Amino acid sequence: MHTIGKVAALAGVSPDTLRYYEKEHLITPASKTDAGYRLYDDEAVRRIRFIKTAQHCGFTLSDIHELLTLKQADSACCEDVRSVAIEKKLRIAHKLQALQAMSHALDELIERCTGGEAATDECPILAALENSLAETAR
Amino acid sequence: MSVKIELIAAPGCGKCVAAQEQLRAIATAVFGDNEVVWREVNVLKEFDYAVSLGVLSMPAIAVNGELKFSSLPTPEQFRTMLTPLESC
Repeated sequence: MHTIGKVAALAGVSPDTLRYYEKEHLITPASKTDAGYRLYDDEAVRRIRFIKTAQHCGFTLSDIHELLTLKQADSACCEDVRSVAIEKKLRIAHKLQALQAMSHALDELIERCTGGEAATDECPILAALENSLAETAR
Repeated sequence: MSVKIELIAAPGCGKCVAAQEQLRAIATAVFGDNEVVWREVNVLKEFDYAVSLGVLSMPAIAVNGELKFSSLPTPEQFRTMLTPLESC
C-alpha cells in the first residue's frame, strides 16, 4: 500500500490531482489508515497512468470516466471503446476547423494593416474589429 | 421528389444494422421505392465528409446533405422528420 504522496510520485502527478480524480470518481483509495489517510494499491498507479495517457490523446476526464466504465463493464466490447475514440477524433477535427477559421480571420486582419507608427486610432485591425462589433450589434 | 438519406457510422455498428432496415422501410413508405437513395457512410473512410456534415457522435443521420440526427432516432421521430419533405 502507498500513501497519497508516494502514489502521486510514482505516477508523476500531484496529491491535489489525485484528490481531484477521486472527486471525479476516477480513482478511489483501496483503504484508509486509522487516522483517515488514504492508502492506494498498485492498481491505482496503473489507473492514474491510464488517465494521464488518455489525457494526452485528448480525452477529457468525463471521456476517461466513460472509458474506465466500459473497461469494467461485462457487456461492453472493443467496438464501444473504438466508437468513443472515433467520436473524440470527430470533436478534435471540428475544433481544428474552428481554429483554422480563426487563423484565416487573423490573416485577413493582418493583411489590412501595414504596421508602422500610426496612432492606434488609425489602426485598420482595431477599426475592422470595431466595425465588425457594430455590425453584430445591429 | 427523391431524397438522399445517409447513415454515418463506424463499421461493425451492431445496433445500426438492426435499425437500418426499419428506418429504410419507413423512408420507402413515405417517398416510394424509387425515390429513396440510401447510403451507408463509413466514418473512417469518409472522415472529412462526416466532419463537414457536423457529425460529432454516431450513428448519425443526414438527409439531403443536412445532419438531422446525432443518434439513432425512434421510428416515429424519423417519420416525423421525413413527412414535411414529402410535400416539397
